[in-house]
Amino acid sequence: MKKMTNKQKILIAIIALIIIVGTIITITVGLNFDFRLQETKKVQLYIGKDFEIKDIKDITKEVFGNEPVMIQKVEVYEDSVSIITKEITEEQKQNLLNKVNEKYGLEISADTTEIVSIPNMRGRDMIKPYILPFTIATVIILIYMVVRYRKLGIIKTILKVVIISIVSQATLLAVIAIIRIPIGRLTIPMVITVYLLTCIGLTTNFEKQLERKKEEQ
Amino acid sequence: MKKVKILTIILAIVLVTMIAFWGIYVPVQNRMENSIKGYSYTMELNGARTIRLKVDDTNKTIIKDAEGKEVTDAENLTDEELAEKGYTKEEVANNSQESLTEENYKASKKIIEERLKKLNVDNYSVRLDTQAGDIIIEIPENDVTDSIITNIGTTGKFEIVDSETKEVLMDNKDIKLVNVMYGSDSSTGTTAGTTVYLNIEFTKEGTKKLEEISNKYVPQENTESTENTENTTDTENAENKESTEEQTEKTITMNIDDEEIMTTSFDEPIRTGTLQLSIGSSSKDTETLNDYINQANSMAVVLDTGKMPVQYTVDENQYILSEITNTELKIASYIIIAVAIISLIVLVVRYKTNGLIGAFSYVGLASIFLLLIRYANVLLSLEGIFGIVIILILNYLFINKLLSKIKKEKEINKEIISNKAKETYKEFFIKIIPICIAVITFCFISWAPISSFGMVMFWGILLIFVYNFIITNQLLKIKASK
Repeated sequence: MKKMTNKQKILIAIIALIIIVGTIITITVGLNFDFRLQETKKVQLYIGKDFEIKDIKDITKEVFGNEPVMIQKVEVYEDSVSIITKEITEEQKQNLLNKVNEKYGLEISADTTEIVSIPNMRGRDMIKPYILPFTIATVIILIYMVVRYRKLGIIKTILKVVIISIVSQATLLAVIAIIRIPIGRLTIPMVITVYLLTCIGLTTNFEKQLERKKEEQ
Repeated sequence: MKKVKILTIILAIVLVTMIAFWGIYVPVQNRMENSIKGYSYTMELNGARTIRLKVDDTNKTIIKDAEGKEVTDAENLTDEELAEKGYTKEEVANNSQESLTEENYKASKKIIEERLKKLNVDNYSVRLDTQAGDIIIEIPENDVTDSIITNIGTTGKFEIVDSETKEVLMDNKDIKLVNVMYGSDSSTGTTAGTTVYLNIEFTKEGTKKLEEISNKYVPQENTESTENTENTTDTENAENKESTEEQTEKTITMNIDDEEIMTTSFDEPIRTGTLQLSIGSSSKDTETLNDYINQANSMAVVLDTGKMPVQYTVDENQYILSEITNTELKIASYIIIAVAIISLIVLVVRYKTNGLIGAFSYVGLASIFLLLIRYANVLLSLEGIFGIVIILILNYLFINKLLSKIKKEKEINKEIISNKAKETYKEFFIKIIPICIAVITFCFISWAPISSFGMVMFWGILLIFVYNFIITNQLLKIKASK
């Protein structure tokens, strides 16, 4: 068995540390979910004319401060706006209405404007549709690698592919947990990046080993 | 000649680039319109239909007779008439207090997700308010959205009841699976058309029940009528027979969500444990048949996924645009273009003329790729956009590898270019075989964000293979030729 270099040992130690810290943070503090996936509050206002998202954004900034806000146009005529944020108090609603009424010359009353609660989306529901495709792809890739690199040892190849794939994704999740990257719409592209890089890394490594073995023979 | 060839190819690349980035404008009704197809986006970029299903808190009125049996045909009677007949009115909640539990809300959510899957909705999100039980669904906006919404919130209560006594003979628990079948009618030798059937397969227990019912609920032969009509005329005989048969024939009624679907009796006992109900009449018209198929499919999905433990009403149903606006998408594309330009400048600095050829070739591939995505009807999701970026990176790596191999050679000729191209192809594509496997797998997945990524990558990798073989290779060969 080939001996590990000091560089490799340090790298493994760092990865192990990242995974351990990430796991502890995930268990104790939890992951930082994007506010769109959390429980939020929504108000919907009928503007009745063309409006710019930017103008609504300016108003919401004055009302909600630095709280993240999601602003969306509603229906095909795009004359209504949906404003979603973590929490909307009655006072904030009134303030928002005053500013919107003033800006667009409207008379939207607080009585007719309801604060609607939007439940959170569970992380597992977000991930669920991706589990099957990635599992199928990984199994087929594993079969391909076992066939192509059988000369390097079938068990060794399987173990290497499985362990490195798991470790790479675990490291990504740990990094996400440690530096508090919000789990949201960019999480899956990040997972795909690491997945593809792992595939390329493994193939490059196996190709080199195969070449070396051929040269030795 | 060499310069003409290179210039021709480069001009063609410039033309394609202009078409891909600016389009072809043609006059349409006194205005200029881009005739190049636009991108198709998935729900997260295009907006979604948002439906809020609220737990039904209304009551229904039930009329009961003196014996406490439910009466269905007394809805139009006045209070006085009801009192005269000894009927009583009762207000009953559509959802009993016992049914409003977190477990039932979760079960309802699961059923809704199952229905969305079976209705082939390729992208959706379902959120549940575990306290109030409200469910918020987001689905893509398209031609079938309204039809999906009408089915998604229905309870899916299935019952076969005695038409007369209203005794429930079979219900959802007896159903094993429901699907849609087709059959062609050829009663007179020539094919009359296709009939769509709703095929209900029952469980073991259900099969037994169905057999019993089909034995019991048969058109009755009336012996009494013959005795009565010994001394009467034929016409009277027929009338008598009809009236007595009406009184004695036992029929069943099939209800879905308390709505009567059909009333029938059985000609012969059913032992197979399946019921096939024809939807509409036999037809040859494709549009009519499609309507029947959609109707039957919706019914099949609702029944097959089981009865929802909680009854819901559609409280909110609106199309909400994506929060990612076109301006934001444009900003993202400008960033990608800026990074690509810087990378291409690096390529030109490193490999001089060959670098310039490589840069032109790269721009050509990017342009054709963007056109291909549009005309191949690839739905773009965030993952798909990410796929475009990966393809641009992969193509850059390919060209860079090829040029670096050529640079190492002291003397460059056509043969060397061919050899270096072969080497680059081998090294590059061997490394990305696992990616190709993953990409092809993703293409077959029905979840839009992942299939979008798969399709974008598939066309991109195919283009890198074909385009560089035809264009990049050719340009470098022409340049190397004496």
